[in-house]
Amino acid sequence: MNSSPLIQLTDLEKTYHSPAGDYKALKGISLTITAGEFVSIMGPSGSGKSTLMHIMGALDSPTAGSYRLNGKDISSYNDDQLAEIRNKEIGFIFQSFNLLPRTTVLKNVERPMVYAGIVSAERTRRAMEALERMHISDKANNLSNHISGGQIQRVAIARALIMNPSLLLADEPTGNLDTATSHEIMKIIVDMNKQGKTIVVITHEEDIARFAKRKIRLVDGRIG
Amino acid sequence: MNINEYFLSAYQSLRSNLLRTLLTMLGIIIGISSVILIIALGQGATASITNELTSFGTNFFSVNAGTFEGGSAFTGSVKTLTLDDVDAILNDPSLTNVESVAPLVMASSVVAANGEDDRLSVIGTTEEYFTILKPKLISGRLLNKDDEVGFSKVALIGVDAVETFYGENFDPVGEVIRVDNRPVRIVGVFENESQLAATFNNALYIPIAIVQKQILGQDHLQEIEVSVYDTDLIDQTITDVEVLLRDRHDIDSEENDDFTVQSFQDALSTLEVVTGLLTTLIAAISGISLLVGGIGIMNIMLVTVTERTKEIGLLKAIGAKQRDILTQFLVESVVLTLAGGVIGILIGTGAAFLIAKIINIPFIVSTSSIVIAVGVSTAVGIIFGIYPARRAARLNPIDALRHE
Repeated sequence: MNSSPLIQLTDLEKTYHSPAGDYKALKGISLTITAGEFVSIMGPSGSGKSTLMHIMGALDSPTAGSYRLNGKDISSYNDDQLAEIRNKEIGFIFQSFNLLPRTTVLKNVERPMVYAGIVSAERTRRAMEALERMHISDKANNLSNHISGGQIQRVAIARALIMNPSLLLADEPTGNLDTATSHEIMKIIVDMNKQGKTIVVITHEEDIARFAKRKIRLVDGRIG
Repeated sequence: MNINEYFLSAYQSLRSNLLRTLLTMLGIIIGISSVILIIALGQGATASITNELTSFGTNFFSVNAGTFEGGSAFTGSVKTLTLDDVDAILNDPSLTNVESVAPLVMASSVVAANGEDDRLSVIGTTEEYFTILKPKLISGRLLNKDDEVGFSKVALIGVDAVETFYGENFDPVGEVIRVDNRPVRIVGVFENESQLAATFNNALYIPIAIVQKQILGQDHLQEIEVSVYDTDLIDQTITDVEVLLRDRHDIDSEENDDFTVQSFQDALSTLEVVTGLLTTLIAAISGISLLVGGIGIMNIMLVTVTERTKEIGLLKAIGAKQRDILTQFLVESVVLTLAGGVIGILIGTGAAFLIAKIINIPFIVSTSSIVIAVGVSTAVGIIFGIYPARRAARLNPIDALRHE
């Protein structure tokens, strides 16, 4: 297995400015995640785990420190450069609102390829393959609001993997699911890791975190 | 993302809230349909009047005694226009384009016939008049040279006047009527078919000498009608006649004419100027309606952006750039206004068709007004959609994802 560092965070800080005063959500995080790892990030609300996830997901930039992803320092990238990173390097699975409304399952999975400029026939072929791997290709033409919560998460995983990203970032991926379905989804994520995908799961549930090989706890903006 | 997909996505989102979409489009629909309707009716009416004018004849012009500036045109208070002017125009060797010249005096007389009496226009003229204005002879004969020379007390009567005195389907030829108490025999019945000359159908034509000497007691004329051989040269002929009359009336170069020349060419160009002004006015009014419609679009697009903040966040998370989001919302507002524009064109055209049928004018919807309508609706979509679309494009992805 490849053991080069995929994510390298050095003295990462994030300060939010508001009229009520500045709030330091991350107070110097240094962390290295190598390719192929399965890491869980835990912590109570207010610990900074969401902020960390946003920065790792290239949705936000740090106030100080550096973030190297695949060897590239992306901490000072502009909006469109970060959009490109999110498109090609990172697959997201959110707790809720994963799929576009008024849009079929297939079109949802195709969308990242649309932004990558892949032609229509190729997109459909790849999206159908991804849906088959998640055993949900029979719902390809259903509208996204006509499938169950577990099915939504499977479609989300299919879409997260469609651009073959180096990192799969899951933010409370089972937060809205019952226990049985949660385990089914986590089993898929574990399988993805076994196939070599680097996975970071943000959760506050011990039950979910124990699927990860490495657990990181955040307390008050620092690694505890 | 290619443009078809933007359109498909816009269509899906607009369809998902059909009532709101229709209400939003209403301003554009009303604006565009009223422009199409009014321009169509304007063009139809212009065409209708132009047809009237052309059928009436564009190969002649009128010289009226007096001027508009003096406020005395057609009133007869200017006495310089005479039968000698008629002869001079007819016989001037340089006026080779002049075909025929007819003098005209008008009186308002009490006409009594068949036990009825009524005040009618009495027009004194010569036989040339009928070669220029060509009223249609229903029965009897026109006025001729013998009537003029012989001071014949004869009259040609219009169809409406016949109906007033005798009722329908009566041929009054040979009847004697009284014009200001003087007996006059009817020799013919005429009808002007053009709407523009319809008022003359309630008038009498009498030899000019009778009207001048016996009814009005004056020697001057109110009007001279001049017809030409070549209509293309009518402007030159008008100028030549003006020069001749100024000379005859001893008008210095600094002085104004004491007569006014009018031709249907003039009327046509006046009509064009009026139509042009009206079109500009209507364009301005519909501009306001489109502005209001556009503000409505902007308002709804801002609401849409707020409603779909989470969706925008998700799109950004999976790799949408600012340009992608901007285009998506811009296409949506353009689809909205363009659909409104197309519906407006259909409604406006339909309404124009019906109204044109009812008021009996030609139905004309020009390609250019449709092209402009499509262009304007697209422009409204872009102008009023750009701000909401930019707002969407510039949303911070985490703020958008966290939005509740």
